[in-house]
Amino acid sequence: MNNEHCDQLVDYLSGTLSDEETRQFEEHLKTCDECREIADATGQLPYLSDPAEPPAGMKSRILSNVFAEEEEDTAVEGTERVSPTIKNEKQVEDELPKVVPITDRKRKRVWWTPVIAAVLLLSLLGNAYAFMQLQQEQEQAAPEPAPPPSQPETAFQSIDLQPSEGFDGDATAAVIEEENGALNLVVTAEQLAALEGDQVYQVWLIEGDNPIPAGAFTTNANGEGATYFNIDNNTEEWDTIAITLEPQPGNELPQGEVVLSAGI
Amino acid sequence: MEKSSDTLLYSRIREKDKDALEYLYDRYEKILFSFLYKMTQDRDLAEEALQEVFIKIWRGVGEYDDSKGKFASWLFRMAQNSAIDLIRKRKKPTVPLDEVAEMPSGESSVEQTAEWQEEKEHIQAAVSQLSAEQQEMIQLFYFKGHTHEKIAELCGLPLGTVKSRIRLALSKLKKTLHGMQERGAIDE
Repeated sequence: MNNEHCDQLVDYLSGTLSDEETRQFEEHLKTCDECREIADATGQLPYLSDPAEPPAGMKSRILSNVFAEEEEDTAVEGTERVSPTIKNEKQVEDELPKVVPITDRKRKRVWWTPVIAAVLLLSLLGNAYAFMQLQQEQEQAAPEPAPPPSQPETAFQSIDLQPSEGFDGDATAAVIEEENGALNLVVTAEQLAALEGDQVYQVWLIEGDNPIPAGAFTTNANGEGATYFNIDNNTEEWDTIAITLEPQPGNELPQGEVVLSAGI
Repeated sequence: MEKSSDTLLYSRIREKDKDALEYLYDRYEKILFSFLYKMTQDRDLAEEALQEVFIKIWRGVGEYDDSKGKFASWLFRMAQNSAIDLIRKRKKPTVPLDEVAEMPSGESSVEQTAEWQEEKEHIQAAVSQLSAEQQEMIQLFYFKGHTHEKIAELCGLPLGTVKSRIRLALSKLKKTLHGMQERGAIDE
């Protein structure tokens, strides 16, 4: 019996066994020192590789995709997605002609995912304080946060904001649901005009005539900026998201002009 | 020590600790990418395979426990299988080797580089004990991601012979590594 399983070691190592066969073989591994030791020995072979430098930004791309998978899954309730996005991409490619230039795949990657990853990581590492300094005043002034509804519904997944007349810039907003059900609004923007003095770009979620401050940011030398905002009171009723140019941080109501906006 | 800290990290990841996943990623990024690049000869494919590995870990696909051997071996196997899947699906022409960027000095931690070097010398010494044919088997099977059928075709051997030769080569590799470990322990 054991010998029969031992014969499957090579197939196991190359991943050609069916799920059931793999499960059975892993049971066998528990009792067969020889097979387990051989499997372990293969774990040293990768060190024969020559060191190759990973592509720039690979870490943030991968981690954001890994964690985004999770968010998507929890957001789409009752829908079991077995294959990750990467698989979906492959399925799409399977339907297309086989030769897909590498650069095309690269271009398909959403440009702001690294930023989300970076922002998420900042937050996760507990270093978000510095990043969210601008929002603190607002949050303190805001009413006591209500606990998130037990089955929060995400108002939207991802929206591109359009510049108002006389302004330049691009921005994308996305709502990300955390494991515990908390919702976060992530806004990333680029090609914005430089700020002066105390000016900030302020994000607003608007319901009718009621704007709620939803994070503020300043831009870097390239006119890029991002903000990450915990949404305390989720509502399906928001009709607009906008970014204004405020003369100073911490405004409860917009004073400056709308730079970018989109209907929700 | 390495093993137990990996296992600890893994159990934190199972509890959805994102920091733990990032830590594990940092620890293995370089070796996994280099290994996947060696297999695929394609930086995009290597990245895609690496991403699949971490998606699987995060989702708990093919869960790890001690009975499956060392954590690193399990991790590398998952990476290898992801790469094989992608290679077989994609069947792209390979990119010439000279496109790979050299490792800039000082990029990785000194500790990581030293550990890699040590492992490399160790495994190289063990592989050099194998016959040329056995080395070839490991190349074709492990690094090229060829199916047994393909290896049989390339080497002009019956399928059954290919499988038993691969197993024999791996078995000898294991014995050599163990022998070296024991000698090392005595030396210390």
